[in-house]
Amino acid sequence: MSTVRTIVTHVDEVWAEPGGPRVGPVRRAAAAAVVANPWAGRPVGCDLGAEAPELAARLAVELTGRLLERLGGAAAVAAFGKGAVVGLDGEVEHGAALIHTPYFGNLLREMTGGTSIIAFADDRSAAGSPLTVPLWHKTAAATRSHYQTVQIRVPDAPRPDEIVVVAAAAAGPRPHPRIGDRTTDADVTLEDVKQPV
Amino acid sequence: MKIRRITTTVEEVHSEGGRPVDPPARVAVVAAVIDNPWAGAGFVEDLAPGIEEVAPELGALLAPRVVEALGAPVEAYGKAAIVGLDGEVEHGSALIHTLRFGDHLRKATGAGTLLPAVEKRAPAGATFDIPLKHITDATIRSHHQTAEARVPDAPRPGEIVVALAVSAQGRPQARLAPLGSEL
Repeated sequence: MSTVRTIVTHVDEVWAEPGGPRVGPVRRAAAAAVVANPWAGRPVGCDLGAEAPELAARLAVELTGRLLERLGGAAAVAAFGKGAVVGLDGEVEHGAALIHTPYFGNLLREMTGGTSIIAFADDRSAAGSPLTVPLWHKTAAATRSHYQTVQIRVPDAPRPDEIVVVAAAAAGPRPHPRIGDRTTDADVTLEDVKQPV
Repeated sequence: MKIRRITTTVEEVHSEGGRPVDPPARVAVVAAVIDNPWAGAGFVEDLAPGIEEVAPELGALLAPRVVEALGAPVEAYGKAAIVGLDGEVEHGSALIHTLRFGDHLRKATGAGTLLPAVEKRAPAGATFDIPLKHITDATIRSHHQTAEARVPDAPRPGEIVVALAVSAQGRPQARLAPLGSEL
């Protein structure tokens, strides 16, 4: 069983945009767990099925629990996202195996009261690289006001044989959202904007 | 005081050196991004009015937040001021190196010692390391430790990032002899 080395929980409160008036504040949170890569040392293309369910489910519960604690429960969550950063010796597919599975996503949805597909970022990086995690509205993914990101970074992780797994959420939309939505959009084509193809 | 952003980060170390840490070692950092009170004012000789206006309010805001985020009794602490590129390092020092700021955390934790500090001028997104020492006896070696922090979009040139860091214990797996014992 892969052990968790470190968990970092980050809360970001935007009180104002530069030079702008006081807002909300807009609150976003991300929780990241550093785990040993269960497939470290195995050949590329190895089967991922045996280890993923137990570890993914454990991480989903641990990380989502921390988001709910910091944001004030499922009712406070408006948007969510997820991510994985694989250490330098691993396959990106190893991170995908932990977050792109119902053992992670379904539990994150259930605990936050969401139904949407969950926006994500995955990467392979050196320890200390920031990951920018996209967030979508938890029940209506195309709600443009809720398109936003939260950045998280664990200074000493992932080591080459570790994976950082992230769950993230926001308590509301971006500050000052005002770019309309699909319902208000013009039906723009290349011909309308006279762009050569 | 104009606040643009506040970030709160809690780190729990569950394992160090390949051995479990039980209970997990907890460190919390709260950082506020504020307008530099002296931005655009040229060289200000007397910083006291600005200190009086900002430092107590900032201390009162950050101290309870960092204690709450830690969620456990505070055993070590430290502070930071990262001045944006157009400011003086002295501006950051002014905000954190007076009792007007530091006493809020000292009172909230029953502490008595000096708060170790980092102060520097840096671009937005710079990482900074906050030194922590024991809250009642700065010679307790097990509690010398560091918390790393970073706000991606701050400080802008006319801003200052002011941060407090606290921990609920010394280093995970601390096993150095007490100060002076090797003499």
